[in-house]
Amino acid sequence: MEKGHDTKEKIVYVGDSRIRKRDRSANVPQDYSSYPGKTEAFVPNFLLKEWMVGVVVLVGFLTLTIAEPAPLGYPADPLNTNFIPMPDWYFLFLYQLLKMPYTSGDYVLLGTIAIPGIAFGAMLLAPWLDRGPERRFYRRPIASSLMIVSLVACTYLTWEAWTHYQEELEKNGIIPEHHERRMMAEEAVKQGKPRPVPGKDTLPAIVAADDPAFTNIIQAQCISCHGTELEGGVGPALRGIGDRMGKEEIAEIITNGRGGMPAYANILTAEEIDQVAEWLAKQKEEAAG
Amino acid sequence: MDHDQQQESAHAPARRREMTRRQFLSYTLGGAGAFMVGGTILPMIRFAIDPLLAEKQQGEFVKVIEASKVTSEPQPVEFEVFTVDGWHESKRKMRAFVARGDDGRIYALSPVCKHLGCTVDWATHDPNEFFCPCHGARYTRDGEVLAVARGPLDEYEVREENGWVYLGSLKPNSRV
Amino acid sequence: MFKAIYNWIDERLDITPMWRDIADHEVPEHVNPAHHFSAFVYCFGGLTFFFTVIQILSGMFLTMYYVPDIQNAYYSVDYLQHQVAFGGIVRGLHHWGASLVIVMMFLHALRVFFTGSYKHPREMNWVVGMLLFFVMLGLGFTGYLLPWDNKAYFATKVGIEIASTIPWIGDDIKMLLQGGDTPGAVTLARFFAIHVFFLPGALLTLLAVHFYMIRKQGISGPL
Repeated sequence: MEKGHDTKEKIVYVGDSRIRKRDRSANVPQDYSSYPGKTEAFVPNFLLKEWMVGVVVLVGFLTLTIAEPAPLGYPADPLNTNFIPMPDWYFLFLYQLLKMPYTSGDYVLLGTIAIPGIAFGAMLLAPWLDRGPERRFYRRPIASSLMIVSLVACTYLTWEAWTHYQEELEKNGIIPEHHERRMMAEEAVKQGKPRPVPGKDTLPAIVAADDPAFTNIIQAQCISCHGTELEGGVGPALRGIGDRMGKEEIAEIITNGRGGMPAYANILTAEEIDQVAEWLAKQKEEAAG
Repeated sequence: MDHDQQQESAHAPARRREMTRRQFLSYTLGGAGAFMVGGTILPMIRFAIDPLLAEKQQGEFVKVIEASKVTSEPQPVEFEVFTVDGWHESKRKMRAFVARGDDGRIYALSPVCKHLGCTVDWATHDPNEFFCPCHGARYTRDGEVLAVARGPLDEYEVREENGWVYLGSLKPNSRV
Repeated sequence: MFKAIYNWIDERLDITPMWRDIADHEVPEHVNPAHHFSAFVYCFGGLTFFFTVIQILSGMFLTMYYVPDIQNAYYSVDYLQHQVAFGGIVRGLHHWGASLVIVMMFLHALRVFFTGSYKHPREMNWVVGMLLFFVMLGLGFTGYLLPWDNKAYFATKVGIEIASTIPWIGDDIKMLLQGGDTPGAVTLARFFAIHVFFLPGALLTLLAVHFYMIRKQGISGPL
């Protein structure tokens, strides 16, 4: 401010770029007062209505987050084959598209680039593909029907991907990891144990490690699958197995096999199986201390 | 708005005019806004300040040295404490200066300088003082401050059992 | 008091016209659900923005505990969800919000499409909207690698393989995204950077342009 300038004077901005030019081109829409019906001010009248909707949506959303915890599976393991990878639901249509015969194998480019490229490209360029002045969807049948067909296709692909996933789960007897994890956590909490963190739970130590059942038979037959320290590998961990199974059940599994495990009836004698089962049944967390 | 106001004045009784329609709408708008902000932000704030409100871990006692080896001269002992730091679990290395006081009781001082948190050492500067290399803070054998710092060195909880010294969590110095 | 401060600033910056423009503009009847219930379809844009704000806030708070490191990422997520007060809710807001923001954006795009609102003179805003859509999908894709569980790992691997089928530049894109021969430590750090800095930056810029154009051009008229 220059000296002697009256500070009470309202400052006048010169060359204000915010003053709109009056000669608007035809592109700019009419003032709303020229539309039929009532108009109302954005603040507070209209915003209040929007916020009412917002409040209702927020309450529903908070209820959802409280009712359904966000899923978390097991730590990433590149060798895990007991897991059916699925993207989030909004990518399922693409996931399913890539399974189609003409979008896989030699034609994979069709599925990964061409079809999504054309679909999304057409969406991006919609204003130039559908140039007529008509706005009502039922008066522009080509644009509307293309969109409806795409919607139906995406819905179908998503639905197909999901049902196929459910069937695979059922066929292979797989429980999705985040469900299994949650059930285990609830179980542990019910039993008064601390909540297990996958990959961080420590296995109980081996009980009676100098027993000949372990040193002679198990170390010869079992450790290639169950791990040298019985910590698990292809087969499950055997440390602490006595907490989950009794001697009879263990003997039965060794004799006849189960799941991926072969039957040992012809490899081990009944007496050896009995020794092994007896030793395994002793593998309890309490005994390990 | 004009239209609304006309309607308003046509219906509303003429006397009660404490609140205009616009004010009422503004308050409701503020309330709805406050609800939305609160509903989303409050859980997040509680989430962020959780470390403030979390219960302090009670340190376990760790066996460090035989009681018979403790002399009136403070000697450094190193020990490891199992610490859970969020998702990170580790054995944290700690150090204490253990000595027997004139009263015959064993005490253990933390080597963390009370000035700005550097690590003090015994008898590097003066044979009978703890000295901090950062800003030259000095402490007596009992941890009483002689220069620079504002308070005495912290003490560990000490327990003697079967001829061994066990150290627990830190507490303010009780000797000076 | 507040009035004095406001006046002091207003005198220097002349801020009144800015908020007056937003606050006082008249909203037509055909988008007002209080007049025609069917006008609720015009709410989806606002709800998309609402969820975007929730995503930004909850994401900011989640990074207070999350670390993008393959050894610790999973455990930091587990910790913040189960050990920190309200962690389940904050992560839930971010996880379910990610889905809902896509739903709302999808419905908003359909509303714009079926009311023909993308036509002259609003072509540019439609294009910006579609770019926003792609940025959101990118945020979803980079976001679910972050917990580093099996789903994160395999879904990301598949996504990167899809990108690598692009002719000529596919392998370079794969290397750029992955930062190595297999998805690993570098991939996680990159995806974190993209998810937290690059895409939100693009998102906010595009949103500003989107909103500026709405104010400039106004809501499309009734059908």
